[in-house]
Amino acid sequence: MLTFGIILGWAVLSVLFALAVLPKAHATAPQAMPFLGGGTPDTHAWQRFHFRPYTMSLLFVAFEMEMMFMYPWAVVFVEEGIKALAEMGMFLTILSVGILYGWREGIFRWE
Amino acid sequence: MMSLSRLMSRAPAPVFPAIGPGRQADVERLLSRSGLRAAATPRDAAILLVAGDIPGTAAAPLARVHDQIPRPRVTVSWGHDEPDAIAARIAEAWREVCAGGEGEGDRLPDEPPNKWKGVGPNGQGGKGMMGGVPYGRPMAMTGPDIRDGLQLDRYTARFGPFAPMLPPGLVLEVTLQGDVICDVTVETQPFAQPADADAPDLCAARMLRLLGLAGPADRATAGKKPRGVWMRGAVPGGLGSVDGAGDARDRLSRWLSGTPVTASVPDIPALLKGAEWSEAMLILASLPPSAILRACQTPEAA
Amino acid sequence: MIVLLALVVLGTLLVGTLFAAMLDRSHLSIVAFFARQRVETEAPDRLNRDLAPAWYLTLAGAGLSVVPFAPGLALIDSPVGIVIWGSCEALVIVTVFLHGWSPNAPFPLIGAYRYAAIGLPVMLPSMFVLIAAALPAESLSLIAIVESQREIWNVIRQPLGLPLFLIVALAMTLRGPMDYADAADIATGTSAEASGAGRALWQTARLAMLVSVSAIAATVFLGGPLGPLLPGPVWLWLKTAALMALIVLLGNRIARTTPSRMMWILWVVLLPLSFLHLLISGLVAL
Repeated sequence: MLTFGIILGWAVLSVLFALAVLPKAHATAPQAMPFLGGGTPDTHAWQRFHFRPYTMSLLFVAFEMEMMFMYPWAVVFVEEGIKALAEMGMFLTILSVGILYGWREGIFRWE
Repeated sequence: MMSLSRLMSRAPAPVFPAIGPGRQADVERLLSRSGLRAAATPRDAAILLVAGDIPGTAAAPLARVHDQIPRPRVTVSWGHDEPDAIAARIAEAWREVCAGGEGEGDRLPDEPPNKWKGVGPNGQGGKGMMGGVPYGRPMAMTGPDIRDGLQLDRYTARFGPFAPMLPPGLVLEVTLQGDVICDVTVETQPFAQPADADAPDLCAARMLRLLGLAGPADRATAGKKPRGVWMRGAVPGGLGSVDGAGDARDRLSRWLSGTPVTASVPDIPALLKGAEWSEAMLILASLPPSAILRACQTPEAA
Repeated sequence: MIVLLALVVLGTLLVGTLFAAMLDRSHLSIVAFFARQRVETEAPDRLNRDLAPAWYLTLAGAGLSVVPFAPGLALIDSPVGIVIWGSCEALVIVTVFLHGWSPNAPFPLIGAYRYAAIGLPVMLPSMFVLIAAALPAESLSLIAIVESQREIWNVIRQPLGLPLFLIVALAMTLRGPMDYADAADIATGTSAEASGAGRALWQTARLAMLVSVSAIAATVFLGGPLGPLLPGPVWLWLKTAALMALIVLLGNRIARTTPSRMMWILWVVLLPLSFLHLLISGLVAL
């Protein structure tokens, strides 16, 4: 509870600080144009942006879930000894096969 | 209050350069001095340095860049003065800005790029998601992608002639999907530069800046050995290969060892099409300015 | 006690940020930009534009709060301190993305997506390194991790840990070889449209994060407040300052490759390296 309070306290403090030092932004129409080195855009920049590494982000989800298992594992590691090391080794080996498969399928390419 | 403005004026003067014909080398050497800071965007600048005679075709872009600098702002024109005199004038202008002067007004009229035509709370106009000109500008539309054929939005804009990552004067009309260049045409060719813009130290410095090594780039410009790690290795192999001049990494190696590079490039759009934006900018920086100019001139001659 | 610790954390953050700005030689420029006009871009996302630097500062503050300033004494005395810091790291990606998204301009948008593509895989070595440090401590608490280094620091016991974590630190603070958000080829990327006080505040938050990430690295690898003669906080400050200088130096000296190549390096080189690091650390801990 105290932890949440402290983090919330930092958030409140930071937002108040930002509000205090940030003046209201204002601009005339030529000032507001996006910077393109003197050039002009046809459209707004907000778009259905082609995020090239989207396939990589799927593999990333698998690894993030794996992290969840590693937190409790790290705490009992010394107690469980070599068994814990072997178990995590097997788990990571299986995930590494996933990396190799993804690599072969070209998911780390920018497309 | 007086002391605060004096403290501010001791910061390096943030300068956005608008480089005209024949002045690229002069400006690059000037801005590598301490006490001056080359801003990559007018938002980060207070002083517009106009070097040389900007041709009439670039007058409107110059006005746009000028207006994008936050107020108060000052323009410094560099005709044929000595670099020391210009550095002193910039320092003077920066002190003026820090003292809170009025600065210059806008050069362009205060009108939105298009008329607001829309209906609805955001002026979106057309039916559903498409059409209309919200806030005076239309939305991007879909098209097939060059790499994987996905139907996502295409963003078309003209970059230059004062884009810091492009050669001065060059205007490219680029269609981007995400960060990959799907289509590119040369709208305006770069300004002609004398041979000193091809000097190996300046060419190496341009590439080092793109690799995030501003400090080593300044050292290279000052004629010292740039101290950087993984400078050649960071440039991907095989990027921007040109007959007889190797790839971008080879050219950086030669420039770092002080050897000039001469390259004859067939066609700039062909070299950039399909490249990711940062790769495309590295390819352009890895070519001597004279080679880019020749490549842009040949289609007209043919 | 809590109030005193909160003041110590706040003081460390303020003085550390000033020190970081001097290391970066940007302190005068930041002061100058607080006084300049803040330009409104075309139809921006005003809420996120203003909140992005505030979140960045929040994450720096929250991250520094889990650091023990003396053995057994941290503002957030949590049994899962590492998890709190890990979530701060992950939220930095969101914050940087919002900073690039909000101005509605092409260069910031490219920088934002580029940073997301690099920031995500950077999280993996980061968590492996921190979990490896938790193995000998048998706890996820940073206080326990400090205690586990009484005899030998993790920087020696787990030799790959600090180098891998320095890469993470460069990414968290948008520096040099890992600065994919604010690269020169996109005119300082996510910050390309930030001007005046907005720009200065973002730079300040970036430097504040440098303090936090260095303090965490000092705690996890250099024994944090442990040291002879001098009191605990002084040791922590000295180690943090040394790491800050190291990170700034590395950021200024190491070249940055293209984003697509860096993504490949992160998955195919650095991730297996962090597996190896976990294996070595596990065997040593047994």
